[in-house]
Amino acid sequence: MEKMKLKLLYSDLKPELEMIEKELEQAVDSKSLLLNDASLHLLQAGGKRIRPVFVLLAGKFGDYNIDVMKRVAVPLELIHMASLVHDDVIDDSEIRRGRPTVKAQWNNSVAMYTGDFILARALERITEIESPRIHEILSKTLIEVCRGEIIQIQDKYKLDQNLRDYFRRIKRKTALLISSSCELGALVSGTDEKTAAHLRRFGYFIGMSFQIIDDILDFTSTDEELGKPAGSDFIQGNITLPILCARKDPEIYATLKANLNKDLSNEERLMIVRTIRNSSAIDEAKAMSERYLEKALRELSFLPKGQAVKTMRKIAFFIGKRNF
Amino acid sequence: MKGHQIQSKIISMEVEVLNAVQQRTLDQFTEGPSIKESRLFFLLLPFFDGKNWSAEIESSAKTVSIVYAALHAHDKIKEDVPIIKEQQLTVLAGDLYSGIYYQMLVNSKNIAMVQQLASAIIQVSEKKTSFFEEAIRPLDEIEEAIIIIETELLLSYYRFYGFSEYTLLAEQTLLYLRYAEELEYLQSKHYTNFLRELNSNLAHEIYTEHWLLEKLDSLHGQILVSIADCSLDYELAQFLLHQITPHQHRAEQLTREG
Repeated sequence: MEKMKLKLLYSDLKPELEMIEKELEQAVDSKSLLLNDASLHLLQAGGKRIRPVFVLLAGKFGDYNIDVMKRVAVPLELIHMASLVHDDVIDDSEIRRGRPTVKAQWNNSVAMYTGDFILARALERITEIESPRIHEILSKTLIEVCRGEIIQIQDKYKLDQNLRDYFRRIKRKTALLISSSCELGALVSGTDEKTAAHLRRFGYFIGMSFQIIDDILDFTSTDEELGKPAGSDFIQGNITLPILCARKDPEIYATLKANLNKDLSNEERLMIVRTIRNSSAIDEAKAMSERYLEKALRELSFLPKGQAVKTMRKIAFFIGKRNF
Repeated sequence: MKGHQIQSKIISMEVEVLNAVQQRTLDQFTEGPSIKESRLFFLLLPFFDGKNWSAEIESSAKTVSIVYAALHAHDKIKEDVPIIKEQQLTVLAGDLYSGIYYQMLVNSKNIAMVQQLASAIIQVSEKKTSFFEEAIRPLDEIEEAIIIIETELLLSYYRFYGFSEYTLLAEQTLLYLRYAEELEYLQSKHYTNFLRELNSNLAHEIYTEHWLLEKLDSLHGQILVSIADCSLDYELAQFLLHQITPHQHRAEQLTREG
């Protein structure tokens, strides 16, 4: 339902997004039936397609040509998909978006090769663009995203980490790819450097806000809404912003500490979820997300007015209020 | 070029590759990148053999080695539940190495090589996945899959720089080494996906052993012919026979005993 609402926000991009969807299907086409099935399984699970949307919207500030824009939009979504299929192996996740993950449906090896295949398809496609700048940004982003994930594993179960660690992590894990989507969309359409920089910063701030909301939803949504068990972050040892805010209460801190890195029963998991949900942590985390959102909106104020800015603003507001 | 010079160049390339992919956490918790001497030998073979060589080619050779390491890291992911930290970081090691190879080629403005390697990775991934397909396939298809897995990255580099004259020799040697490794796995009852498929295809593992020994024997002969065809100089040929494929004598012995 909520995903439908989001899609309505960018309904003016509908024909282009349908084209992107078809291109994604073609991109994962493989001689191997199993790779084909696994990639389509992942693709058909859907997703918000936020990255292609931002590529296209950023392109509206330059010389917009969908045939050029799709050469960036499709690879960026493929890169995101490849990281998801590997993340599910890392997190040992059985369910994503309400469907079995590739690793659950087949096995870890098939998931690894599917991710490698999809990433290679992304690179094969994006190298059709010759601009070195595009590749410099994207290759740097890929490396930073990986480093973010490595740090996330390093920081697992560390309840005493500081807020800066968290923000540095989500910057690399989520914000950078969204930021690069905006910047690459701008550059490939030939916008000036100043516009591209505003779009890059917009993407960064939106990405930060988006990830904070995601981390809040892990505690405030139901298992059904999430398509996976609520509190999964805590179970997997990922110390997110709601946990970092909640731990200030000594009682909650003790509860969290006692249950961290433990094989939790369903009741214990729900108890942790309720504890966080009923604390002031959710409001505090929302306020931080709100601050990033304001910064994102400020960046939009520097851009030429038009439909693209309107849509970006609507998406920004929606991200701040989303509940899925 | 003398044997010790060949060895020293291989080691220096290995060090450079290790430096390029170094990451503190990964170094601490994972086995580190797999950089095989045999692959480095074949990546450097045109240089050893006196072909036109440049910094760009050497940099590309390094990136091919990094891609091998990236894909190999993902081969090491097991089916254990729950997945442990070392395995989680091994997944990320593979992804990080992929990012590094892309960035290295971008820095040397070699976008065409990124595309070439991406196409090779697609083929390798398809063939690796083929070992999880349920359909029974003939032995030559299994063998074709292994050839692509072992050599496609190297061969795409040869094609890109016009070094195709080494294709056959590289294919035979890398296949020889893979079969020698599989034979050791078989004899230690460690069944890889390849051995499982071979066993079910040949009905019994004793036949698998014979099949591997015959392949090793035949590849040995082919390697000698290819060395002559490539007109490798004496030192280079000796290095290949004694340093890169030292299993040969053992294979011959096993064949005789078998």
